[in-house]
Amino acid sequence: MTERPSILVPVRVLEGEPIPEGVPQLLANAHVVLLGYHVVPDQTATGQARMQFEERARKRLDEYEAIFEDAGASVERRLVFTHDGQQTIDRMISEYDALAVLVPNATRPPSDVLVAVRGAVGVDRLARVVVGLFADTDVSVTLYHVADEDETDEDVQTLLDGVVDRMRDLGLDRPGVETRIERDSGPLEAIVGAADEYDAVVMGETDPSLTTFVFGMPADQVAEQFLGPVLVVQREPSTADESE
Amino acid sequence: MVDRPVEAVSTGENVAGEAPAEEPDAVTDEATVHDEDVELERTIGLTGGLAIGIGTMIGAGIFVFPGLAAENAGLAATLSFAIGGVIALLVALPTSELATSMPRSGGGYFFISRGMGTGFGAIVGLGLWLGLVFAAAFYLVGLGHYATAVLAEVGLSLSINPVIAIGVVFGAGLTALSIGGTENTAKLQNGVVGILLVVLTGFLSYGVLDAAGVFGGGAVPETFFSQGYVPVLTTAALVFTSYLGFAQVATVAGEIKQPGRNLPLAMVGSVVVVTVFYVVTIFVATSAFGADQLGRFGATAMVEVAREFLGLPGAIAILCAGLLATFSSANASILSASRAVYALSRDALLPRRASEVNLRYGTPHVALLAAGGPILVLVATGEVELLAEVASFLHLVMYGLICVALIVVRRRDPDWYDPDFRTPAYPLVPAVGALASFGLIAFMQPASIVIGVAVMLVSYLWYRYYAGDVVLEGEI
Repeated sequence: MTERPSILVPVRVLEGEPIPEGVPQLLANAHVVLLGYHVVPDQTATGQARMQFEERARKRLDEYEAIFEDAGASVERRLVFTHDGQQTIDRMISEYDALAVLVPNATRPPSDVLVAVRGAVGVDRLARVVVGLFADTDVSVTLYHVADEDETDEDVQTLLDGVVDRMRDLGLDRPGVETRIERDSGPLEAIVGAADEYDAVVMGETDPSLTTFVFGMPADQVAEQFLGPVLVVQREPSTADESE
Repeated sequence: MVDRPVEAVSTGENVAGEAPAEEPDAVTDEATVHDEDVELERTIGLTGGLAIGIGTMIGAGIFVFPGLAAENAGLAATLSFAIGGVIALLVALPTSELATSMPRSGGGYFFISRGMGTGFGAIVGLGLWLGLVFAAAFYLVGLGHYATAVLAEVGLSLSINPVIAIGVVFGAGLTALSIGGTENTAKLQNGVVGILLVVLTGFLSYGVLDAAGVFGGGAVPETFFSQGYVPVLTTAALVFTSYLGFAQVATVAGEIKQPGRNLPLAMVGSVVVVTVFYVVTIFVATSAFGADQLGRFGATAMVEVAREFLGLPGAIAILCAGLLATFSSANASILSASRAVYALSRDALLPRRASEVNLRYGTPHVALLAAGGPILVLVATGEVELLAEVASFLHLVMYGLICVALIVVRRRDPDWYDPDFRTPAYPLVPAVGALASFGLIAFMQPASIVIGVAVMLVSYLWYRYYAGDVVLEGEI
């Protein structure tokens, strides 16, 4: 048994979002941090929403918790009333040191996942998520990299082989981890295009920049276009964040 | 992260059989924790806190009062504003201490009900709600004056005076917007306050330089106490409405991040900032025209001051700023009043229904209407000075009691009491703060005092009738 990676599953608990099909199976080997949150407008005190909605929200979360536990996951849960959903999600990521956040979308019972490898940075956490979730299953794993113009095929193969090695060290001891290299395409469209053939995508978080500020995080864009579940592997928590 | 356990116990029932909502288990830098796994996120940072404080205050002191104050006290109105600022600071320090030890929604009401018992709490809580209603009505009448001045500026002359009608329309509009609007009002408020501070800084810098003779104008020498000494204090009592905003920061204390640091900074900081702005504004305004002439301009005197310095563009800038400022003050007061209603309803001093959240918009429509409804009635009276003074009266009672509550809590020193911020020069600051708050009331018009006392009396009777069995005390 490999170590269970902690995966944050944020759910807008009062908006009737069910846990999408296939997601419990996808996270069967995870330690699920189930975050039920409810965003209230600035005019409303968060405590006011709690007084009225806590019971309903708890019932929902009970159901969700049972679904994940039945699928095999270990579950920890929090219910948060907030004015700012993103702030709450970020806080939970750092409090639980969650390796990845799930963007929930429906899927079949997963049989293959696409793992987008951006570069050498963050490979360790990526590998821990993939191995933890899929080592003890028969889900097939495909490593995927969109190459820059100045990257040779050998460079990329070295990168991907490194990931394969790291995953083997962590306990994904099986042949047939596939690798795919894409060229002549923007990373985003490439990932969305390739993802179509898979049941779920695992990818890294992108550093915030002006582009991400204007167009949103690539992971979110992928999630929006792919229509299947996306696991967004979080950056190593930096010490700078903690002193904030 | 500081984990602070909460050990307050509330018991009893009101006549409708509702008990106070249970207290949370702990308070951290980022959330209020109920039952281990239910949390209320804290989302307002220091900027947001300052924006609430400054945004609530700056509308009145700069854009409505200069003319009225100068008329009453002459050049010494500057001193009146300074006195108001000192009293506000004396209260802001004890409020900060109590708020850091109990960073929960409800502000002054919460501290007093937990520190001094339910009876005082009910008087202050209902007084806070109605005080904010009076304040919001006052800002809306000010807004009406500015909108009327805008109409006059574009050459539109109406046969009737539209001040009250405009105030009522905006009051109704704001209430409707708060109920139905889901846009991010907090960010908007931050932006408005930022713009106001920039416009005012530019305008006042020019005014100060001009008064000092740099541009060849030079100030008109004038007797400082042209109206005598007593009007300085009565004017201080009148303009104290300009200092009500810092306590509004405490009404959202439950939503402030890192409350131990941000609450004192936001409250004390906003008082200091607006005091400086007020004093400079009055100085500039009176040096431009002399107190007598300024008084004749009434509520929109600042527009004439700007016109004197900078011509038509100046007048337009101040007109727009005045609209924005009175609008943001009224908006902030309505939202705070709704928070006060929520806090009372949570503690079973008002029906639980009053804090009900609208399923469609997620907004507290009953509480907002409980604020907006009475506001419209009060705006319709159009009595600027009376509205301002009653608002001040009800707040001053609360401020005085906050200071007393600090002394009470410190003397009993319960186990749970562990504030991050400690009032300097204790017990001098709270003692003087309490005396000054109660003392200032004596300088109000008799009508304001009568209305204020009546509100307190009715509040107490309501508590005896409706929630006489409810006990809201920390484990003291």
